[in-house]
Amino acid sequence: MRITQYLTSKLKNFSNLPKEYIERSKKQVYWKTPTERGYLPSTVERKRYRYTTNRSWTGQFRQQNMPGTMRRKVFVEPVEDWSFFRGDRIEVLVGKDKGKQGIVTQVIPERNWVIVEGINWHYRRVGAENEFPGIIIKSEAPLHVTKDIRLVDPSDLQGTEFEWRFTEEGEKVRVSTRSGRIIPIPETNNQTHDYKTPNAYIEREKDTPAAVVGEITFQPKLSTFEMDIMEEMGIKEERTPAKSYWY
Amino acid sequence: MSSTLIKCFNVAKTVSVVAFKSLLTTPRSQLPAWSQAAVGSLQKCGVHTTAPVRHERLMEFFDDPKHWSENEVKVGRAWRPDELRIKSNKELHQLWYILLKERNMLLTMEHECDDKMEIFPNPERIDKVKISMENLETVVRERNRAYHLLETGETGERPQKQMHNAFGLRCTYKSCEHVLPPFMNTKWIKSRNLGYGGRAVHKFLLKYREKLYNVKRKAKNRSRNEVMMILRRNPHFDIELLKRKYSDVDIEKLRRTDKARGHFVPKVDG
Repeated sequence: MRITQYLTSKLKNFSNLPKEYIERSKKQVYWKTPTERGYLPSTVERKRYRYTTNRSWTGQFRQQNMPGTMRRKVFVEPVEDWSFFRGDRIEVLVGKDKGKQGIVTQVIPERNWVIVEGINWHYRRVGAENEFPGIIIKSEAPLHVTKDIRLVDPSDLQGTEFEWRFTEEGEKVRVSTRSGRIIPIPETNNQTHDYKTPNAYIEREKDTPAAVVGEITFQPKLSTFEMDIMEEMGIKEERTPAKSYWY
Repeated sequence: MSSTLIKCFNVAKTVSVVAFKSLLTTPRSQLPAWSQAAVGSLQKCGVHTTAPVRHERLMEFFDDPKHWSENEVKVGRAWRPDELRIKSNKELHQLWYILLKERNMLLTMEHECDDKMEIFPNPERIDKVKISMENLETVVRERNRAYHLLETGETGERPQKQMHNAFGLRCTYKSCEHVLPPFMNTKWIKSRNLGYGGRAVHKFLLKYREKLYNVKRKAKNRSRNEVMMILRRNPHFDIELLKRKYSDVDIEKLRRTDKARGHFVPKVDG
């Protein structure tokens, strides 16, 4: 999925991290020209990353994309409108859990993946040594959105195809093609790591109260920012600047 | 100075104790009961009375000690331009220094955590402060531009223009302020190199343009390859969607190539 689509899609950023941070945290610059005169700005950096279930700001992601290593390219087919959101009930079409239904818990748009609660378990044995057999860790494997799953119609709880249509109010909605019913985007999609709903956010020590933010204190005035601050601080400037030339 | 600024946003809440409360980030939540009073007290900026002792002033570069061992220090989001546009110049001025202090503190903490092999909690705070400061600067510039355009008809920004440097590359020339007019400023006339020329520069430009062309050519090949691989993996992929995504690729032609055909036997009619 491309970034322009990501911006227009209804998918919310669960991590609630600023884009700048996400970009900065995964960046691997191998070499950069000095920021001096006489140098063309150019960088040698990692351009392609292997996205997995590990999010790009974590240490595991960095471990899987160690500087200097190359991995085979993964071809991710473009998706026009992202249609699977956190909290959606979906039906599995492939694998050992074929026909089962589950709730989407995580969305990974970089790979067109979703992770569904309790579906598609896979097991890893870790820590095995000579005598010790190791322990089994179980976790959900991701499912591909275009091939592995389909949405569930809320009217009869059966899997269905759907399409994006517009309501009379101009809102873009998912409509089940079988029953014609709207499949609403779940409220869970709006949850973030920091709060479940914006209203439920607990204000922290360094946060500005909402009313202080919304208060209008600006008064239009015929002065620049600097002139206004000088007036505020009682700084008087009576010297007239000499004639100067900009070139 | 800055503790005064902090105070003024906090008068209602704390009368004697100066609690550190910056305007770093804004939550979207409903307002707690106490902050109704804080709204009115914005103007009543308290006078800075007690000068902090020396080591305390130095400790302002560090976070609150209670956050030192934390794994997560949660804060809200950055200030948006629309929220800053409704604030007076004075408040923006105060907010700038609060943000600047916060940024200093965060960068110090990050350095210190690296030094002590500790985890610096929530490094995205640095980016949030940076975004807020960028937005604030944009708003201040907007206001100044409006004033200058109204009064003088010019933006009031530092004049700059596009020109060719000695290597024949386009670059931005930022003008400087001079006491003398250009025709009298012999030193400046001598120092500037107008235009470009010579065999070496032309040779360089030829190779430089080839490099740029190669970047473009490789990008085109890459998208062509990408379309082929998508078609090979998904023979029934939506062609219209592909055409929209990769407008520079001739998809009809690509479909007939061997590379785009998957490893399956095509259905033959009859």
